[in-house]
Amino acid sequence: MTTPETNETLGVPKAEFLQSVRQALGREDVPPAEPYPRLTETQAELEDQAAQIRRRLEENLPALLDKLAEMAALGGWKVHRASGVEEAIGYIESVARESGATNIVRSAQDVFDQVPVDAALTNLGLKVTTVLRDEANTREALREEIRQAGIGITGADYALAETGSLIILPRRGLSRLVSLVPPVHIALVRPEEVLESLDDLFLLRRLEYHQRGGEMGSYLNFITGPSRTADIEMTIVEGVHGPKEVHMVILG
Amino acid sequence: MTQDANITADLFVTCIVDQLYPEVGVSVVKVLRRLDVAVGFPQEQTCCGQPVYNTGFNKEARKLAKRVLEQFRDSEYVVVPSGSCAATLRVFYLELFSDDPELLSEAKALAAKTFEFSEFLVKVLKVEDAAACGATHQGTAAYHPSCHQLRELGVKSEPKKLLFSVPGLEEKELEGAEVCCGFGGAFSVKFPHISEGMVADKIANVQASGAETLVSCDMSCLMNIGGALNRQGSDVKVRHLAQILDPDSQ
Amino acid sequence: MPEIKTEQFFAASAAAMKNPKLRRALDRVGSGFDVARISAIDEVTPEVWEQWRQQGRDIKVHTIEHLDYYLDLLYTNVTAAGGQLHFANDASQANEIVAHIARTRNVKVATKSKSMVSEELELNPVLEAIGVEVWETDLGEYIIQLAKETPSHLVAPALHKSKEDVAELFTEKLGIPYDEDIFHMAATARTVLRDKFMEADLGISGANFVVAETGTLVIITNEGNGRLCTSAPRIHIGITGMEKVIPSMQDLAVFLRLLPRSATGQRITSYVSMITGPRRSDDEDGPEEFHLVLVDNGRSRMLADPALREALNCIRCGACLNICPVYQRIGGHAYGWVYPGPIGAVVSPMLIGLKQAKELPQASSLCGACREVCPVKIDIPRMLLDLRHKSAESPDKSQRSAKAAERTVARLYAMLMSSPRLLRLAVRCGRFLQKAERFIPFFSPLSKDGKWIKNAPLPPLSKWTRSRDLPTLPKQTFHEVWQKELSRDDS
Repeated sequence: MTTPETNETLGVPKAEFLQSVRQALGREDVPPAEPYPRLTETQAELEDQAAQIRRRLEENLPALLDKLAEMAALGGWKVHRASGVEEAIGYIESVARESGATNIVRSAQDVFDQVPVDAALTNLGLKVTTVLRDEANTREALREEIRQAGIGITGADYALAETGSLIILPRRGLSRLVSLVPPVHIALVRPEEVLESLDDLFLLRRLEYHQRGGEMGSYLNFITGPSRTADIEMTIVEGVHGPKEVHMVILG
Repeated sequence: MTQDANITADLFVTCIVDQLYPEVGVSVVKVLRRLDVAVGFPQEQTCCGQPVYNTGFNKEARKLAKRVLEQFRDSEYVVVPSGSCAATLRVFYLELFSDDPELLSEAKALAAKTFEFSEFLVKVLKVEDAAACGATHQGTAAYHPSCHQLRELGVKSEPKKLLFSVPGLEEKELEGAEVCCGFGGAFSVKFPHISEGMVADKIANVQASGAETLVSCDMSCLMNIGGALNRQGSDVKVRHLAQILDPDSQ
Repeated sequence: MPEIKTEQFFAASAAAMKNPKLRRALDRVGSGFDVARISAIDEVTPEVWEQWRQQGRDIKVHTIEHLDYYLDLLYTNVTAAGGQLHFANDASQANEIVAHIARTRNVKVATKSKSMVSEELELNPVLEAIGVEVWETDLGEYIIQLAKETPSHLVAPALHKSKEDVAELFTEKLGIPYDEDIFHMAATARTVLRDKFMEADLGISGANFVVAETGTLVIITNEGNGRLCTSAPRIHIGITGMEKVIPSMQDLAVFLRLLPRSATGQRITSYVSMITGPRRSDDEDGPEEFHLVLVDNGRSRMLADPALREALNCIRCGACLNICPVYQRIGGHAYGWVYPGPIGAVVSPMLIGLKQAKELPQASSLCGACREVCPVKIDIPRMLLDLRHKSAESPDKSQRSAKAAERTVARLYAMLMSSPRLLRLAVRCGRFLQKAERFIPFFSPLSKDGKWIKNAPLPPLSKWTRSRDLPTLPKQTFHEVWQKELSRDDS
């Protein structure tokens, strides 16, 4: 492995590049006369807005869950609304059986404490691997497990009613690949994870960014339905590079 | 009549109507007079300058535009039987003179009183029913909106309201009505192969509509579509809206 | 930069017009995307759509006006997230940055997700020259890479290829039996490319947006290749134009509403991926290095020109291609460079020079359909007119490309139309010629009834009468009718 030098200057130095942009704009270095409103919001203001969002979500939760289920189905998810943990596990078992998968990978998120799928799936004779790095499980070994898996199961960080999207923030315990590489992805969504709109999501992300002192986390993914392409004669083909089949299990 | 007889309007007949389709100008005058408009016709008028403006020769376009500003300076209204030429007077002149405050204010004054023919009837004369013009028409017709009328002037419903209220006239739906016919001024002779492809699609849709007559508010589109129809030996007629509204026109 | 063929526009568009297969393919994609776009807009209502368009436009206009400020902010935040932001003035500089990273990190295999800017830079041959295997992974891009062609549409790069074309290509290049089943072909690409994703040291992506506030790169995809390219390799390089920056993450809301609906009619794409820096130390996976390369490559010329600046607002949705009656007949390759269609006819002359691309702004009927569908309300017809104006009269002689003949025609036309007397004279000459025509042997441009010119002898009229008739001059002009019959009525 090479150790990259930090802060290499490749290409044009920033100052020179910005100067040429200013020259094209025909002016000196001046910030916007009116500061961009969104960029001047304080953390307290964002917290206020977040509190309003939370209130609105609580008040409208049943309708939002319906909307999420509707939009997710339109987006290509197979949506299952489970009234309880057992039902959710039962549904996951049936998906596992029908898929013919022998290996399953899952993330290490706390939703699995609430919905313990491992025992049920192991009882079906399936190998379940939790993708969480430790001394025994290196990145390389886990990646190979993910490649062999027929199903990847994850929780949600958020679910968006507006678009029917699952939002995940890959980090420790939540691999980028578990929801991407296996041909089937099952996502567990809890009611408290549901947001109404894109605006809600980005506001909450910005708040967290401020709260964590300018740390956004490395990745955020929207997943809405299966992987698809229409690149040959506009014929839609599902499962081209990502999963062909995606299930959203809504707990509630 | 719905209007007091005090409205006077000057006709900017457009060069294409002047040179090639004088009968359209005649129908415009007759329809306006039936609606009690006192019609004037400044004799020195020629062309609005769009052909040179469209090809980028703004200096030449300004020369022609200044003539129009002069000739219609004292008009109460300016009526133009072409969406495209009306757009030149109302929209393009403002751009042409954007760096000349004096001429720009003249152009603004002209723009404020310039109307495309169908728009003038509906918006100024408040005529929405063709019966007010005494028009009748036995047969079927489809309507082709010109791009400039539709997208530069935003005149969309007015001509259809008038046309399809003509007693006896049966409306035929035109597939792809809002797709350009392929004229585009110099475009039609600079890239004839593309223009021909566009007009071929247009006339296929016209023929499929089953209409006996194709009506528009722009003779340039109709010269293109009509020329292609004639080459195909089609007997679909092309008419300016004013000709349909004018009971004296055939 | 890729071979520039804009000067062959006329011949290439003429050839395209004669290709019925291309026409069918264009119909399928254009009308398919456009019907989907309209129904997606109807679903949210045209009123709401208008509000979104205005919001999107306002954000873009603001950002472009303060591009230096937001690029600086972006730099700060990419760096703070542990990434590296590199600026490049031109294609060779940008390619050298990527090549340098590949060389110093001992990169053997690179996978790419769709990036129009990398097509513009023609990055692949540069990497291949230093021994890097480069794999396009978007299915359409993979197809055209195998075929050694360039994309013909911003969103559907291989639309010009039929399934039979692709099947033949796969047989030839991959050595597999001919199979024109589209599902099987997609599965083949999945299998071939899956190995490459896992092998790759370097993932290269474009960017739909980059967020100054957080240093985040955003890509919007459907296939999942974008996720793989930015997740599996140890290095990720994003390459995009400097105009792609937006101020706040909050601004993404409106663009995520506008872009997929305008591009494919989807409410949202299968995936939206937002990447902020390299993987953090405790992340399960993800690249160890994150680089963002922002290129100028002619964009500052657009920025410097107030009449054309708004072309930088483009979010590359392709809606203007799908609606354009010219693009829909000639396809993307005829435009001769990376960016086709109405927006390409503005962008290409600015990036490669107006003289070289002078045909493109002329090849439009200025019907305005592109402006009507543009999600950020770019006034493309005005910019085409401006480029035509520059061709004709630019004070910068290097931009002037109108032929002397065109200039003469314009001058004569203006002279004629400035003088009603001269015009009358010209009309009389015309009428005389029409009458005299029948006395000239072997010359019969007119129809028998004399009402139509069927076969004009000279251009430009001869161009018209190739497939259209032209009315002959009537006996009287309107001026004459007015004086004889109409003027008295009014007194």
